[in-house]
Amino acid sequence: MIKVLKPGIEATVQDNGRIGYYELGMPPSGAMDKFSYSVGNWLVGNQDGAASLEATYMGPALEFQEDATIALTGGELPPKVNGKSVSMWETLKVKSGDILSFDFVKNGARIYLSVAGGINVPEIMGSRSTYTLCGIGGFEGRSLKEGDTLHIGNDQQDDVKEGTKVSSEFVPQYTKQHEIRVVVGLCSYRLTEHSLQNFLKTEWTVTPEANRVGYRFKGEKVEFIPREQPFGAGSDPSNVVDLGYPVGSIQIPGGVEPIALLNDAVTGGGYVTVATITSTDLNRIAQTKTNEKVKFESVTLNQALEERNAHRSNLSKIKDSIQQQQ
Amino acid sequence: MAGNKQVVSPLPGVFYRKPSPEEEEFVTEGQKVKPGDVIGIVEVMKSFTEIKSEVEGIVSKFTVESEEVIDVGQVIAEIE
Amino acid sequence: MYLATRYEYGGDEFLFVELSEEMSLEANFTAMAITKKLSEMEIEGIQDICPSNASYMVRIDPDVIKADDLIQELKRIEKSVENLDNVEIQSRLVDVPVLFEDPWTHETVMRFRERHQDPESTDIEYAARINGYDSKEDFIEAMTSSPFLVSMIGFVPGLPFCFQIVPREKAIEVPKYVRPRTFTPERCFGFGGGFSVVYPVDGAGGYQMFGISASPVFDGEQKLPDFQDSMVFPRQGDIFRYRRIDRDEYDSVRNQVENGTFEYRKKDMSFTPAEVLKDPEAFSQMALRRLYND
Repeated sequence: MIKVLKPGIEATVQDNGRIGYYELGMPPSGAMDKFSYSVGNWLVGNQDGAASLEATYMGPALEFQEDATIALTGGELPPKVNGKSVSMWETLKVKSGDILSFDFVKNGARIYLSVAGGINVPEIMGSRSTYTLCGIGGFEGRSLKEGDTLHIGNDQQDDVKEGTKVSSEFVPQYTKQHEIRVVVGLCSYRLTEHSLQNFLKTEWTVTPEANRVGYRFKGEKVEFIPREQPFGAGSDPSNVVDLGYPVGSIQIPGGVEPIALLNDAVTGGGYVTVATITSTDLNRIAQTKTNEKVKFESVTLNQALEERNAHRSNLSKIKDSIQQQQ
Repeated sequence: MAGNKQVVSPLPGVFYRKPSPEEEEFVTEGQKVKPGDVIGIVEVMKSFTEIKSEVEGIVSKFTVESEEVIDVGQVIAEIE
Repeated sequence: MYLATRYEYGGDEFLFVELSEEMSLEANFTAMAITKKLSEMEIEGIQDICPSNASYMVRIDPDVIKADDLIQELKRIEKSVENLDNVEIQSRLVDVPVLFEDPWTHETVMRFRERHQDPESTDIEYAARINGYDSKEDFIEAMTSSPFLVSMIGFVPGLPFCFQIVPREKAIEVPKYVRPRTFTPERCFGFGGGFSVVYPVDGAGGYQMFGISASPVFDGEQKLPDFQDSMVFPRQGDIFRYRRIDRDEYDSVRNQVENGTFEYRKKDMSFTPAEVLKDPEAFSQMALRRLYND
């Protein structure tokens, strides 16, 4: 068991997500940075899809009430066991009574705590991910609170040796400037050419409204091509007949402050979407935080797929290297 | 004790010196605080986190304005 | 019918297909027909199908299926359902009790006046006026005398987008709020663009707010009989009749919901798009007779 001494903010149980329920209006939820989440699970020998803890900006303080194998991956929230610094991206052992805590976030935004066996919470619609808006999944459908007790599950398939590491060449470096690749499309035809170019040139600032639902950015105002609004869409030029929103799609309500819709976002609505963050770079947007800068770089679908393959190949190299260290 | 102790924000967000717009400021410059006293709140991701003093002393000055967007690690106030 | 279909990539994992920029029953029936057929085909690599109002979206695993190959398949499917002749929609007629201008919604309406087009009116007064009705009463009569087709589920789990089955000239259309609200009460009956909705849970929203549904559309704990199979009640293709109720009936339905006995008044029905498109008004009246009499 793991006891929550301090909850941090927005610390939730997450896994690969609840995929296949768009027709009910159910967003996928799941780990925002799947790269770090997956690597964390491998470092503790879990099968894919075991549930981990995702903590944002400010980590929780946790007391282990049994011995456990753990790993910490993702953004740099310097972890400490009993007040002593421990490494990230490495298999660690903790003893019953040990306290895990975190320093102020240095780089990135989200850290993943993987525990051998996974966090044991009920599966809802095929996933243990938390979706706080409707209060389903995860630990009682919500972020952790002081005094909660998490149980460790049985999703471990291999024993991984203490000290197993991810080579530094594979550890992502997070800075305060981010280039996030997007595929322009969806309803981008609604933007003037000038605005589309500006959208791609602007260095956007992440506002304090940036969470698992979406990230709101400040920067330039964008203009839509004037038109007589089609029937059913609503009167604002940024309105369309309500449609589905891909995870990672970027909408610009009223032409001000673009919003990137992420794992817990609304599944659809009536605002123009103009581009979608590539599946690979969703891992990176998850590691950006308030006040940092983001530029959206337009790529073709083929470039996005090449990048996806390169990303996959890195992941399998990491998996192999973990196995080789055993 | 000699020297100033800085109060640093553990997270980025919007800094507020009042619990709500209608209420009084948590503390004002020149006021005495004890460890655990709230000196402000930071709003980020629609969550509000209280920023507490870790020391006893007098709040000599605030280094950020209320409602200013601040960064993680930014100094909010100094306590002597 | 002419549809100017656009196929768009939503990053590397989504395809977005817009059948029409404007809303129509035809576009919705076509989207329904295509997504139904697509899901029956059980194509490997398709992870999620999201039917929407005049468009649909498909989530794919690009390691298994190429977006461009799927587009070719979707074009074939669209062609095969072109005249909507062989499409049959499995539907339920459902009575949804709504208390208009209830105190909870009204409080929210007043709280967000500065985000509205017309801060001097309430949402329902404004919507009645711009749609050319002499009174709120006439406007409520228009919304409750013909049923709505559930044309999409989305935004949040269980939210039904509903498009009224009336000839185009009678269709109600309202703008969304100038700036979206940070709060909308659970079960609020709203209207935005050409769609009415029931908000499943408390949350943000931008639709005009007219009242509150006594019955839930989402039940996360699945306690009520209508929610045994799914925490979401509405399904695309359902036909909802919003029926005006008074406070007494509202309280009585709420009691039934609280003690777990509430069940929607509903009837199964299947229909073809052609029946609806030929004479929407006649179809609507037939549907109401079926729901309340037969």
